[in-house]
Amino acid sequence: MVKRSEQSTILQLRGIKKKFGDKLVHNGIDLDVRRGEIITLMGGSGTGKSVLLRSLIGLEKPDEGHIYFGGQDIVGLSESKLVEVRKRVAYVFQYGALFDSLTVKENLAYPLRAHTQMTEKEIHEKVISTLTKVGLEHSLDLYPSDLSGGMQRRVGVARSIILEPEVILYDEPTTGLDPYNTKQILKVILQLRDLGATSVLVTHDMHAIFSVADRVAFLKDGNIRALGTSKEINETDDPVIQGFIQGESW
Amino acid sequence: MEMTKTFFAYLVSRSWRATLHLFGFVGGSLSLLLISIKSLFQRPFHFQLFVEQCYTLGIRSASLVFITALSTGFVMALQFGYGLERFGGKLYVPKVVGMSIMRELGPVLTCLMLAGRVGSGIAAEIGSMNVTQQIDAIRALGTDPIKRIVIPRILSMVLMAPLLTVFADLVGITGGLLISLTELNINADFFIYESITSLKLTDFTLGISKTFLFGLLISVTGCYYGLNTKGGTQGVGKATNHAVVTSSILIVIFDFILTKLFWILERH
Repeated sequence: MVKRSEQSTILQLRGIKKKFGDKLVHNGIDLDVRRGEIITLMGGSGTGKSVLLRSLIGLEKPDEGHIYFGGQDIVGLSESKLVEVRKRVAYVFQYGALFDSLTVKENLAYPLRAHTQMTEKEIHEKVISTLTKVGLEHSLDLYPSDLSGGMQRRVGVARSIILEPEVILYDEPTTGLDPYNTKQILKVILQLRDLGATSVLVTHDMHAIFSVADRVAFLKDGNIRALGTSKEINETDDPVIQGFIQGESW
Repeated sequence: MEMTKTFFAYLVSRSWRATLHLFGFVGGSLSLLLISIKSLFQRPFHFQLFVEQCYTLGIRSASLVFITALSTGFVMALQFGYGLERFGGKLYVPKVVGMSIMRELGPVLTCLMLAGRVGSGIAAEIGSMNVTQQIDAIRALGTDPIKRIVIPRILSMVLMAPLLTVFADLVGITGGLLISLTELNINADFFIYESITSLKLTDFTLGISKTFLFGLLISVTGCYYGLNTKGGTQGVGKATNHAVVTSSILIVIFDFILTKLFWILERH
């Protein structure tokens, strides 16, 4: 993991525009993500939070605009060139997206086999140590179908962090989970921040947002309506944001 | 009058959608094939995945191919036996059964069975992976779904379809032999001698050469529909259905085209 330095910017979004058919999802989004911070993208359903998150790793291509990672624009990169970016930027899928034909161990070993020259013994040790971080070190030989939804997501987190990425993108990591699994995932996110990783979260979970996020970006009508610390956003007098936070009309 | 207009508008709309779907399929599957060919020569090579697919798609289809070929051999021998007996031509059964199985029924029926079993399996598996974001996960983990998912399936089908057809040819002719022995009173030595002497090497090679293309069609079609699956479990069902129907139609169409082409080549 890289050393935490809140001053430098690791991801820069400039003028991001995206349309699906006639629906304008992003209308010129600008955002800087600082190295080592936890930033949350908040907003109602259909405001393009997940699309924006997917764009940060090249799973979606913006129609216009630039995304700079470590100074390099990743928008025009081919799939083969995105491989280097994807070793350094990990994505945690909403439901884990574990490979259901592989065991937990094989799921975690997958990125190690693809990108490292580790021996089988080293891979085994790395898998155990990473699973220990999410409290699932005894689930090595289970298949995803043997795990609960919460456990699948924790394995998904473990698989995403096993290459020790600089940036981790979380798509709704705690939505629909019980308090124990939610706590476990939030604990991992905070531990990784302490180790220097940068996290970008998309979530509707207010508890998650205000308990872990350093900064919050509120998306509305294809743009960032407000950006500030958790406290600033929580105490804003913008009626739209307050309406969203309080679960009222917004 | 109003009903006729509505029906005509419906026909036009359906035809337009079908045309768009056809162009989408042709463009998309050709593009998938070209990308796969390009990726085939780039590292890393996943030989183990190729072997696994040869087992899953090929070896595990052997029992289905066996039953299909055996019953085809039985039926061919019975039909031609009773049909030709009326004209005193029962002794031509070994020639007719051997030639029709080698040149036509072996390759086509084997590949139609594979389109049902393997084409649907590929589309359903990849489609499920797509709707559960496993394909996105492969990409997000810095690996290539074309190399890991598509290429092993295409290569294994291009290899296994001809091998299974050879197997089907042998089983089908054996089926014909069994019926000739038990039902038509044709001597086994005569059947084998007639089959071998009347069949030319080109009968075998022409039949087998079609199956390389059929294997390619089945796998590319299954992969294309799987990778383009949208809309959850209902989408997986549709993709599976489209993969089987499309690859079956393509096999029948290309069978005619290749047969005609070979016929022209043989005459010259």
